[in-house]
Amino acid sequence: MIEKRLLAQIDWILISTTLVLALVGIASIYSATYLEEPSLYQRQTYWLLIGAAIMLPVVIVDYSILDRFAYVIYAASILTLIFALIFGRTVGGAQRWISIGFVSIQPSEFAKLSFILALSKHLSTKDVSRKGLGLEQLIVPSALFVIPFLLVAKQPDLGTALIFFFVFVSMILVVKIKTKILVPSAAAFLAMIPIGWRFLKVYQRARLISFIDPTADPLGSGYHILQSKIAIGSGRFFGKGFTQGTQGSHLFLPAHHTDFIFPTFAEEWGFAGGIVVLALFCILITRGLGVAAAGKDRFSFLLAIGITALFFWHMAINAGMVMGLLPVVGVPMPFLSYGGSFLLTMLLSSAILMNISMRRYIF
Amino acid sequence: MRTAKNHARRLKMRIMLVLGVFVFSFGAIFSRAFYLQVVRSGDLEERALLQHEKTVTVPSKRGSIFDRNLDELAVSIEVDSVFAQPRTIEDSYRVTHALATVLPMDREDLTKRINAKRQFVWIKRQVDLTSPQREAVKGLKGIGMVKENRRFYPTSLAVNLIGFAGVDSNGLEGVELNYDERLKGEPFTLKAERDARGRLLLFEDIRGNVEGMDVVLTIDKTVQYIAEKALKKAVDSYGAKGGTAVVMDPSTGELLAMASFPTYDPNNPGGSGPEARRNRAVTDMFEPGSTIKAFLLSASMEEGIVSPEELFYCGNGRYEVKDRVFHDVKRYGWLSVRDVIKHSSNIGAAKIGEKLGKRNLYSYLKLFGFGEKTGVDLPGEADGMLPHYSHWSGVSVDTISFGQGVSITTLQLANALSSIANGGFLMKPHVVRYIRNHEGNTVEDFYPAILRRVISKGTARKVTEILTEVTGKGGTGELASLGVGFDVAGKTGTAQKANPAGGGYEPGKYVATFMGFVPAQNPRLTIVVTVDEPKKEYSGGVISAPVFREIAEESLAYLGVFNNGNAPDNPNNPDNNGRGKMIQEAKFSKDNPAALNADTEDMQPDRGAGPEVSPDFRGMTIRSALKFAGAKGLRVDVRGSGRAIAQTPLPGALMPREGNIQVVFR
Repeated sequence: MIEKRLLAQIDWILISTTLVLALVGIASIYSATYLEEPSLYQRQTYWLLIGAAIMLPVVIVDYSILDRFAYVIYAASILTLIFALIFGRTVGGAQRWISIGFVSIQPSEFAKLSFILALSKHLSTKDVSRKGLGLEQLIVPSALFVIPFLLVAKQPDLGTALIFFFVFVSMILVVKIKTKILVPSAAAFLAMIPIGWRFLKVYQRARLISFIDPTADPLGSGYHILQSKIAIGSGRFFGKGFTQGTQGSHLFLPAHHTDFIFPTFAEEWGFAGGIVVLALFCILITRGLGVAAAGKDRFSFLLAIGITALFFWHMAINAGMVMGLLPVVGVPMPFLSYGGSFLLTMLLSSAILMNISMRRYIF
Repeated sequence: MRTAKNHARRLKMRIMLVLGVFVFSFGAIFSRAFYLQVVRSGDLEERALLQHEKTVTVPSKRGSIFDRNLDELAVSIEVDSVFAQPRTIEDSYRVTHALATVLPMDREDLTKRINAKRQFVWIKRQVDLTSPQREAVKGLKGIGMVKENRRFYPTSLAVNLIGFAGVDSNGLEGVELNYDERLKGEPFTLKAERDARGRLLLFEDIRGNVEGMDVVLTIDKTVQYIAEKALKKAVDSYGAKGGTAVVMDPSTGELLAMASFPTYDPNNPGGSGPEARRNRAVTDMFEPGSTIKAFLLSASMEEGIVSPEELFYCGNGRYEVKDRVFHDVKRYGWLSVRDVIKHSSNIGAAKIGEKLGKRNLYSYLKLFGFGEKTGVDLPGEADGMLPHYSHWSGVSVDTISFGQGVSITTLQLANALSSIANGGFLMKPHVVRYIRNHEGNTVEDFYPAILRRVISKGTARKVTEILTEVTGKGGTGELASLGVGFDVAGKTGTAQKANPAGGGYEPGKYVATFMGFVPAQNPRLTIVVTVDEPKKEYSGGVISAPVFREIAEESLAYLGVFNNGNAPDNPNNPDNNGRGKMIQEAKFSKDNPAALNADTEDMQPDRGAGPEVSPDFRGMTIRSALKFAGAKGLRVDVRGSGRAIAQTPLPGALMPREGNIQVVFR
């Protein structure tokens, strides 16, 4: 059972930021969809309740169990990704859903977390020299990365694939990589960009072009970003007020409850509201780094780093994308965006951080 | 432990590196948010408004059209229009079935509309629904209703004059067209919010709604009914192609009735062709035939060229001029001018015309208003045709003297005859008395307007006397006579129809006309009747004169005019209803108008003597102006001091219905 000492160590900062962000998400989903699909915010609320219920055991049970079962979880996750590719449901041209009874889940979301678990376990067992990881030491981590990356890219889900990439690179860099390997691989990566371009779908290329010049095709591929900017900008400093926004609820903004939830929120709450949400993310991420730094072992350190990187890249790419700083790649905003699997993954990640945080002084 | 320490230090370095990336990213996001929401916010807000706000205009309630007694002739009634948003219909079969039982429409059409691949489609506009029907329609998903105003013509009288309005509240013919702007009012402007699919979400800010104004006509519903009934009877019994009847108040130019046949159902204008929708009294031209002799007579008398008893030789029915031979219906030898008119001798008229001369004949016909629009406030008026005398051929002065070679409209004829009736003034005919806004305040008043003096009062009296004989025993217009108590001044006309292909006349096709005013010495009504292409009979005296009599008899009885106009005060008197005190005041000055006419021969208060005009005050002192006005029963507003230098109305202009004359002294 849970010890009293442990209870005293509960990370209130993590709990409260997680909860506030999730509630902001539900409110924004309500505001964006109450005219069209009022059932969506209810479903998100159910997912939050389910998530909270799952969080409890995840926080209580020592994370060492994750260390033990990391590869099992990873393997199961990869199997569901393969299953989704073969039997999954296709929505909007991408095959990423598995139906279980009444609900559909998106295995690629959970795969992010299982990938972080597996990578953390593997890297924690390696003895890294002062100079960093060598070439042969990179083989297994790369394999752990490439398998889910390709499976996700095949769906196709460019956004999620990118997240895998950024999390992988972040963790490898934190662990340190030999300079003589880093420089050529970075060069190789840059050289591969034009080749990668050829593998992109037409709509993905169009998104990149319209990122460079959004006004080139304002009703076509530039439409997302233009409408998003209009939503954010028209919110001005204090916003239009809850449910007073017109860009989201009036359907000008595509994906106004998923990837573009932040503009919906910013339209109604203005710069002031946007600052508060970004500040919450700031707190969450700083806290994540703090948890990593205070981690009592290498596995928990890497795990906390991986999860924080996951939060960070999701947040940064989404915010950059909706504000027109980055191309539209389809990365949702943690805790805010609609989606059960995604919310659950984020809540589980948060719970794991809390778990590590509680046990940093316990040996 | 040492390696662990080193390890920890290295890790902290990594964390600092991560922190750097982190700070950079957040910095970029914050500054971008600031840029969008503070720096560029105004511009972006405007774009948001532009795309989600839409203004919608909905026509206001169209004003009513009343007759002179404020009886409704055209009204707008609120009805329901049913529409569908086909994409939101879930069970189209059930919806179709439910609507089919409620709406009076073709099932196939209904199905087509409900399954239209559109966001919005009208199912049925302007339909009368009972409240349970309305509830039934309201309960259907994807089906909606809005209130619209439908034009309704309760009496179906004067339809060719009033015209009709279309489904979007646009006047398309007649008074509805001519006064469309006033009747229409200003539309509602609604601000609607619009979503990305173009659907309108909510309405707010109803602004600028000004209901249409009401138009009050000079038409009297009862007189109109009498005229239509009498005309229809004649047209039907003679199997005629069409006909017109115009009833006018000669002293004001107000039209009391204007009937046209064939006619149509104004509540279903699409059910008839344009043939039936024309207001023939103003749009159709025909040759005047013998009716023109009244004007020939007026011109000759005014010029002093003939006297009533002067004799003309009528050639025993045959008169050769150049290469032409003219005939009379009956053979006459010597006829006085009086008898030329009474028996309508073409040869006599031709000889009078020759004596008058083509220049005089032309200029008098022009003065009487032929060959140009009367300026009536109705659309589609024809000019008529009166060629300039310099284009006349050798026999034109003869033929035009008995009404061939010119063409006119019924309204022109009525208006010209009214000038003989009222003592010589050509009035501007009109059908609208006043316009009032939806609060009932008059916003525009239409006063009688004198266009010009055509003949002197004396000539008018003499011509009237001769025209009265036309309806006397043995005259061509005997059938128009009303019997004891009423003298009728009038003239018949039987004109062959000119061949539209050009050249000559169509055999057997006539326009039978009778025009007249009554009571002759104190005229209250000018009535012109034309019957187009009658069968069996063809002369104006046989076909149109009885129509005139019927209209005159019934209208005078209705108006309470007895015994040559010496009428007891009657509520139906057109000058004594609808407008209360104002009219009473106007009557006060109207009863003493004779003193104002320059060429007055008698000083009797004579209603038929013509509309009164403003005297000339210029040069008078205040004292003498007041004395002068007092003697005429007028009131003067004095401004300034000294001698009169300006006045409203101007000297000779028509007196307003109410108010004093303003005179400025300096």
